[in-house]
Amino acid sequence: MTFDVEQAKKWIITFNDKIQENKEYLTELDQAIGDGDHGLNMARGFQETVKKITEGKYDDLGSLFKDVGMTLIAKVGGASGPLYGTAFMKASLALKGKKEVDIKALVEALAASLDGLKVRGKAQVGDKTMIDVWEPVIEYMKNHETIHSKELTDLSKEKMDDTKELEAKKGRAAYLGKRSIGHIDPGAASSYLLFASLAELLEEGEVAQ
Amino acid sequence: MKYVSLVLISHSYEIVSGLKKLLNQVQPEVSVAIAGGVEGDIGTNALDIKEAIESVYSEKGVVVLFDLGSALINAEMAIEMLENNENIIIADAPLVEGAYAAVVEAGLGSSIEEVVRAGESAKELVKIND
Amino acid sequence: MIEKEITVTIENGLHARPAADFVKKVNQYKSKVELMIGDRRINAKSILQLMSVAIMEGQTIKVMTDGEDEKDALAFIDSFLQSGKES
Repeated sequence: MTFDVEQAKKWIITFNDKIQENKEYLTELDQAIGDGDHGLNMARGFQETVKKITEGKYDDLGSLFKDVGMTLIAKVGGASGPLYGTAFMKASLALKGKKEVDIKALVEALAASLDGLKVRGKAQVGDKTMIDVWEPVIEYMKNHETIHSKELTDLSKEKMDDTKELEAKKGRAAYLGKRSIGHIDPGAASSYLLFASLAELLEEGEVAQ
Repeated sequence: MKYVSLVLISHSYEIVSGLKKLLNQVQPEVSVAIAGGVEGDIGTNALDIKEAIESVYSEKGVVVLFDLGSALINAEMAIEMLENNENIIIADAPLVEGAYAAVVEAGLGSSIEEVVRAGESAKELVKIND
Repeated sequence: MIEKEITVTIENGLHARPAADFVKKVNQYKSKVELMIGDRRINAKSILQLMSVAIMEGQTIKVMTDGEDEKDALAFIDSFLQSGKES
């Protein structure tokens, strides 16, 4: 299966739909261990992003993802803006000039996104952040010839759920220390939605690398 | 420019707009730029910060002060997005007291390192002595 | 080293704006400048130290200057603290 500009747009649109649907839930999670604006920030930012990319005409994946990244940086605010923004900017660099790619190249681009996230947010696995979903998911995609949509979705969800029992080491939640335990990390939750959206897209073709 | 400039970042526009007023009274010759809020809401964003830094940038340097966590991420991002980004230092200082100490130090014509040091030493400030 | 007890008559005491002005001007002198407020001794050239004390209108403090321009420094401080308005 190939991943092209139309697929990429669809991915972001689907992700935005899920964010809008789950806006209150994301906000609730963030009220428990953050400053209560993750749902609102992501909803605003991704709504603007969808607007931008639907109106835009893109010759390559790089310029599409660049618009996504820049819009997120400008419109999301908080920590999520620069974090998701960086992820898409790194992907855009990796996919510069490419009209369409195979899944392997997409995974490589997302691996670059993950590296960017770790540098920007200075977090690692176990800190109770979005990295706790991103890292295992990218590992899975790198190590499997065929990516099964259901496996991808289940893994993302499982890793999101696993953040519940972690103690936060980064972000506003870190101020809560042990009181952050028992709550799912909001960044992990939105990351699950991101990869669930990707999984839906991949379902439409068998995803052999 | 004779003086190091300051950039103040807060999740609240009103906080930095008020603080800038105070600093301008205290040291009118030091350039102070602000970035606060996102589209009228609480939050910070890298593009506003980038513009603020650009508006007061000089080789004498810019010291950036911020309030909480995600402001730092956005400040780092803003600095990366600038072409000219030597002589910009983010101070690990409390926003209000650090900015006050920094603006006074800057007004003396001090170097960027001295201004950062003044701002950061506000962390040790004991305000009530009984 | 010379010293003098001075009663502060600046309205509202040595608060934010005059304090900053004071520090800036005092830094122009070569002498060491210290203030005794009660039993606290602070370096008058350091805004941080000045921020850590409250010097109120009507309060009497001791000013010590030490150096080649100690007389000029003390005269300036005397005038500043008693000016009754920001100079």
